[in-house]
Amino acid sequence: MTIAIPPGVAALLADPATVKILATVDAEGFPHAVEKRSLHLAADGTLHYLELLESSVTNRNLVRSVWFDEKVAVALKGADGSTVQIKGRPIRTHISGPLFQHHYRRLLTEAPDQDLAAVWVIEPVEVIDQSLTARKAREDAEHPTFIHLDRLAVTEGNPS
Amino acid sequence: MVALLKPKYREEPSFEDTLARHPGFPRLVALKIDVQRRGVHYTERAEKAVDPTIHQLRSPYIFGSRDGAIKPLPESLLLRDGGTILVDPTPLAQDPYVVDFIDGRFVLLDDGRAVEEVELWPKPAYYDKTTRSGIKMSLLVTARPQRLNVFQSSYCQFWVDDKGCRFCDIVTHTKQQRDEIGVPSRLRPEDISETIAEALKEPGRFTNICLTSGSVVKGDEVFDQEVDFYIELLQAIGENFRTKKFPSQLIGSAYNEKQLARLHEQTGLSSYTSDLEVFTEEKFNWVCPGKAKWVGYTGWRDRLIRAVDIFGRGNVGTCIVAGAELAKPHGFRSEGEAIAANLEEAEYLAERGVTTVYIVWVPRPGSDFRDQSNASLDYYIRLAKGFQDIRARHGLRVDFDDYRRCGNHPDSDLARLQA
Repeated sequence: MTIAIPPGVAALLADPATVKILATVDAEGFPHAVEKRSLHLAADGTLHYLELLESSVTNRNLVRSVWFDEKVAVALKGADGSTVQIKGRPIRTHISGPLFQHHYRRLLTEAPDQDLAAVWVIEPVEVIDQSLTARKAREDAEHPTFIHLDRLAVTEGNPS
Repeated sequence: MVALLKPKYREEPSFEDTLARHPGFPRLVALKIDVQRRGVHYTERAEKAVDPTIHQLRSPYIFGSRDGAIKPLPESLLLRDGGTILVDPTPLAQDPYVVDFIDGRFVLLDDGRAVEEVELWPKPAYYDKTTRSGIKMSLLVTARPQRLNVFQSSYCQFWVDDKGCRFCDIVTHTKQQRDEIGVPSRLRPEDISETIAEALKEPGRFTNICLTSGSVVKGDEVFDQEVDFYIELLQAIGENFRTKKFPSQLIGSAYNEKQLARLHEQTGLSSYTSDLEVFTEEKFNWVCPGKAKWVGYTGWRDRLIRAVDIFGRGNVGTCIVAGAELAKPHGFRSEGEAIAANLEEAEYLAERGVTTVYIVWVPRPGSDFRDQSNASLDYYIRLAKGFQDIRARHGLRVDFDDYRRCGNHPDSDLARLQA
C-alpha cells in the first residue's frame, strides 16, 4: 500500500548533503546497495531514481523487481545524523517520453559526460525512523525483556 | 454472442493459466506477446483521448496492419517496464485486446477486464518538419520510442516471379502506402540525412538507427545493388556523426563476404542482421521460395556465420517469424516439434556467434498466409525463454536488437536480466 512521505523525510531527500543508498536484490538473493545521489521525491509522492548505466546491477535488479513485484530499500543519512529507511516497490521505468527527456536535458547541463538509461519510479510502502533513539524506544515498548540483567541489577548507584 | 464473435482465443487456456505454467517468466513480457499475438482495438473513448500533438500516430511501415487499413490511430504502446509493444489495429471479430481510456489513463482490457495500464508512444519533434525538398520527414524516417527506422525501399524483388515469403505483405503494403499517403517508393540519401539531423536535435530521444528494405537481387553479384543503396544511405546518415561507427542495425539480405566487408569498411554500420525467417531447410524452401532460389538455406546461414568475422561476435543476428513454421499444410505438425527444431538451430548459430531473435507472426491480409493462425501463448513463452537461455549460455549479447533499440522481440526483452 502506498504511503505518504512525511515532511521531515521529504526534507531529508531534498537536502544535497544527505547520503542516499538504494538496496536491491539479485536473482540469487544477493543484496546490492549503492549510493544514489539522484534519488528524489517526485510531486506525486513517489521516489524517482535516475539510472545512468543500462547494464548496471542496480538496473538489472530493478527490472527484476518490476517484473516480479519485488521490493527495494532506500537508506537515508542526513547531515544532522538522522537516519531513515524507506521500503518501496519499483512500479515503472521511463526510457522515453517527457519525464525521461526532462531529466536527460537537465543531466546534459549538470553532468554532460553522463548518459541517462532510465528514470525509475519507486512507490514508497513503508518509512522507518532508523535513529537509534527511535528504534530503542520501539524495542523497549515491544520487547521489554530484551535487556542484559546487569543493567537491571541493584548497584551502588542504582539502589532498589 | 461473445462466443460467436470471438471464436478463436477463448478456446485456448487463459492467459493466467498459461503464465502459471511458467512461474519464472515475467508477466509483462507474456502480456506483450499475447497482445502482439491477438492485436488491439481502440475504443472510441481511447481514440478521442489521443492527442496528435504529443502522441505518435501510425506512420509508414514496411509491413501492413492486421486490419489492412491505414488510419490515424496510435502507433503502438509502451508498458510500465519500459517495454514496447508493436501491435496493429485489429478487427474486433478477431478477438483482440481492447485499449480504452479510463480515469485519465490508457488501459488494456481483455474481455472487458482491465489487465494493465499502457502508454502511447511519444511523438518525436521532427515529425512536424518537412525536408528542403518538400517531403514530410515522418514519411521518410519513422520512429520507435528509442529508434529511428529507415525503410530504404519497400519493394522486394523476390515478388517479381511470385517468390515472396509467404507470411509477408511488403509489396501489397508498399503500393497501399504510396497510393494512400504518398510515401516515396525510393528514398534519396540527402533527404534521409537531413531528417536524421533533425531527429538528433531532440536530446535523449534515440539510441539506434535501423535500416531495412525488400531484397534487391540485381548487380554483378546477387544483392550488389542492394548493398550499393545501403552504402550510399549509411554514408549520408554518417555525415551526422562525429564518430566513424554509430549504433545502427542493417536488416538486409544474406551478403557475401566482399559485400559485408564493403559495408563494414565504407560505412558507420555497427551490426548486421539477415533474417532466415523460418528454421530448417525444408520449411525455409516452402515459406521463403525467393531466398531459397537466390541463396538457399545453408548458403544464407553460412553467410551469417561469416559475417561474425567481419562485424564481430554479438553484432550479427537473424530473426524468425515465429509461428509461420507451423503454417498449414507444410509446416511443423506440432508446437513441440517446432520448438525443438528452432532451439536446435539457434544453438548451432549461437555456437558460431550469431544470435537468434523472433517476432510474433501476425497473419496479414496482404500475405499468402492471410487466413492462417499464429501459435499459442505457451509456444511463444517457451521460445522466448529458449532463445534467451541459449544466448546466456553462450555469453552472446543482443545489444543491437534489445528491448530499447528494437522492442519487437520478446526473447531479447529477457536479455535485460543477462549479466
